[in-house]
Amino acid sequence: MDIFLSAIFAGTSRGAIYALAALGLVLVWRGAGVVNFAQMGQAMFSTYIASTLIAQNYSYWIAFVVALISGGVLGGLVDLLVMRPLNRKRSSSVLDSPAMRSTVPVIASLGILGVLQAAAGMIWAAEERGFPTPVNSLGLVINGKIMPFTAFDLFVIGIVFVTLLATTFFFKGTGMGLAMRASALNPEVARLSGIRIGLVRTLSWVISGVASSLAGLLVTPSANLSPYTLDLILIIGFTAAVVGGLDSLLGSVIGGFALGLLVSFVNVYDAPEDIFLAILIVLLTVLVIRPQGILGSKEVRRV
Amino acid sequence: MLEIKDLVTEYGSVKALNGISLLAHEGKITTVIGANGAGKSTLLRTISALEHPHSGSISWKNKSIVGLSPEKIVRLGIAHVPEGHAVISQLSVEENIQMGALFRMRSNKADVRLAIQEIYQLFPRLEERKKQLAGSLSGGERQMLAISRALVSRPSLLLLDEPSLGLAPLVVEQIIQTVNDLCRNTGLTVLLVEQNANTALGVADHGILLSLGTVAADLPAAQMKADVALRAAYLGY
Amino acid sequence: MSKASSYGRKNLVISILFTALVFFLSIKLDPYNQGQLSVALMFFIGILSIVLLTGASGQISLGQGALMAVGGFAAALGILNLGLSIWLAIALAVFAALLAGLLLGIAAARLSGPYLAGTTLVIALAIPSLATRFESVFGGDVGLTIDFGNPPAWLTSLMGEVGYEQWQLLATLPFATLALFFTSNILNSRTGRSWRALRDNEVAASLAGMKISETKIFVFVISSGFAGLAGVLYGLRGIVGPSVYPISLSLLLLTGAVLGGIRSILGALIGALLVVFLPDLVEWASASFSPSEQIANYLPAMISSLLLILTVVLNPGGIAHGLHHKKRHH
Ligand SMILES: Nc1ncnc2c1ncn2[C@@H]1O[C@H](COP(=O)(O)OP(=O)(O)OP(=O)(O)O)[C@@H](O)[C@H]1O
Ligand SMILES: [Mg+2]
Repeated sequence: MDIFLSAIFAGTSRGAIYALAALGLVLVWRGAGVVNFAQMGQAMFSTYIASTLIAQNYSYWIAFVVALISGGVLGGLVDLLVMRPLNRKRSSSVLDSPAMRSTVPVIASLGILGVLQAAAGMIWAAEERGFPTPVNSLGLVINGKIMPFTAFDLFVIGIVFVTLLATTFFFKGTGMGLAMRASALNPEVARLSGIRIGLVRTLSWVISGVASSLAGLLVTPSANLSPYTLDLILIIGFTAAVVGGLDSLLGSVIGGFALGLLVSFVNVYDAPEDIFLAILIVLLTVLVIRPQGILGSKEVRRV
Repeated sequence: MLEIKDLVTEYGSVKALNGISLLAHEGKITTVIGANGAGKSTLLRTISALEHPHSGSISWKNKSIVGLSPEKIVRLGIAHVPEGHAVISQLSVEENIQMGALFRMRSNKADVRLAIQEIYQLFPRLEERKKQLAGSLSGGERQMLAISRALVSRPSLLLLDEPSLGLAPLVVEQIIQTVNDLCRNTGLTVLLVEQNANTALGVADHGILLSLGTVAADLPAAQMKADVALRAAYLGY
Repeated sequence: MSKASSYGRKNLVISILFTALVFFLSIKLDPYNQGQLSVALMFFIGILSIVLLTGASGQISLGQGALMAVGGFAAALGILNLGLSIWLAIALAVFAALLAGLLLGIAAARLSGPYLAGTTLVIALAIPSLATRFESVFGGDVGLTIDFGNPPAWLTSLMGEVGYEQWQLLATLPFATLALFFTSNILNSRTGRSWRALRDNEVAASLAGMKISETKIFVFVISSGFAGLAGVLYGLRGIVGPSVYPISLSLLLLTGAVLGGIRSILGALIGALLVVFLPDLVEWASASFSPSEQIANYLPAMISSLLLILTVVLNPGGIAHGLHHKKRHH
């Protein structure tokens, strides 16, 4: 029973992080029509920045905020330096077909991932570093009994819910959120309504950058920091987003928790080597049975 | 005044507009009619900068607007209602209307609120359905919504592309009449593209007949309406 | 003479010239560069699989490394358990990869763009992890040991002493030539044209009566065969294991394909040479300002990633596109 409970708790706190990663992917997909494979590379880079600040005796929270800001800045730069010029380039025969139009940004994002990983390696070397937590990461003690979850787990889950609420409010309750939804759904009508869709796109890259560096900061204490550690989160985050529906914020969060539980149960009851296989099976099953994901809308581009 | 000179717009090798010149006077309704593929939509799309002209000039109130982005052109008071009930069906009615005013929400919140109220007075059916998704509206309601989205920006020039498309005659009449009232009461300038020549020429001050990307006739509306030979030659009825 | 047979003859001439050139190099180069050139030929075959899949038919795969692994493991199992010769093992590897490609294609035919990219990326991670899972069969993290063996007697009697790297290069060469010949023929055939029609406009292709899913699956199968061939040759250098076919291998091949020119056979060759020799080139070029080891380690990856971004943004057709372009102008 205890094993089962601790698998649930571990899965929930893991799932919270996958949910953040998935959220980041969904934000850019909805806002700019790109699945950003460089996302966790950006997160890795900003987590290194935080780690460097902490090593120089700045407080965790200062490092935390700086990392979020740099995550946002990196996201914005990716859009301004790579994706925008790519979008503007219409003349090339290689880019003419819709199939290639959706493929080429993927390749570009892989290039960005490569650059960020190489840069992190050059600046911070390859050796793995640990990363602190802001709160205790020992099992909580309630009534003298050690619980199978930690204060840090609660902290992570709390942050994810706050993020989800904040993004939902942003999308449903603010003008900028409306502008973002409109630009993603119908760029032409959005432009005719006076919405600056270029600006809106860049903003969705920035917000996604913040969300994913949050994921990076929260996952790193349990997985040492190296230029490549967060690749795994990207894979799982992608699967979570597809499971939940690539165009649904809530869906991506549900997908994240589902994947967290899956990974945790495979870890506890089976063997860690099977994680990828389990993910692959889930991914293929969802794509075959319900390609739009749990909460995705049918009208989403069947790509 | 909207002044267009020698406008040429191409899609690849297709010349959709082949040297168009026209004037649309302020506070008047100018209607553009012509057969399918004549270039009517392309004309409006070029004015609102959705398409880039190959050559020629467009000026509004004596300022050239060629080369500006669509976002910028809206801010100059030119609102375009594109062909085919262009609303965003996954957004609510209310959101579709708000969307048209987002760009001036911060600078003039009070007026935006007023504008939205006026729109609901104009189309009470939209207010009744404001929480509904735009995709669930009827064709006529959707066209009202598309026009509202444009009007809420308080344009001085309205580009309307076939508002009658697929609607029952009664609804068409109502929409056209609303536009006509707006023009007469507020001094709005309207460039109205229509297949339905009779209705359009009935309310318009001036008529422009397009054929294969060129202006075939440019006459006062009443005169064009009366010219049976012209209509037989270009519209087939 | 009909157009088709003139193409066929031109392809034959190019293939012969290609073989002769590599053969000449195999005599001139030192063992290290013989080994590098042989890897470049293996990558050439692997990149051709991307040219067929992405360049010709518009589908993306980040998982070509997984198909290479399938080829490698199939051959290793054949050699170690059934005692197959390397030639039979190579045939077995291609067959296994074709089969895997069929399965993958059936799943992938419904997907495109980012969905396909993400799914194949997961596949690239999942397949090699099977090796660790079924350790007794696939040899776990270490993998299985196979190699090209010794050069046959007739070759040594013909050429004198043949070193291991040279043999590796000479054994790879016929397969690279075959891949070259096969690819250029298929791209110039009706089949190749139908793939391009699919890529350029799926709706139109379907209206014209093309069976979309079948065609996509077929491209996947063919492309997988190429990947499997590249994979077995790559494994025959010594080890078949998860560390030989990491996810970075898939990405490296994609990088090579894009840099060289994703629609061009010449581009595939240029891309393969580029990604294989880039580290050496960078080391040679940076020797004068002797960067720290930390920087030197990551310099090739940095440069190839930067080149990848620049290519995609500035010249999506890759190097070969530039070359073709010049030719047409003159
Ligand atoms: N996106 C496009 N790409 C290529 N050609 C186009 C495009 N849009 C329009 N055309 C062509 O330009 C010409 C003019 O089209 P346009 O839509 O302006 O006609 P229209 O007068 O609005 O017709 P309708 O009454 O049917 O709406 C047509 O020949 C059309 O085929
Ligand atoms: Mg039209």
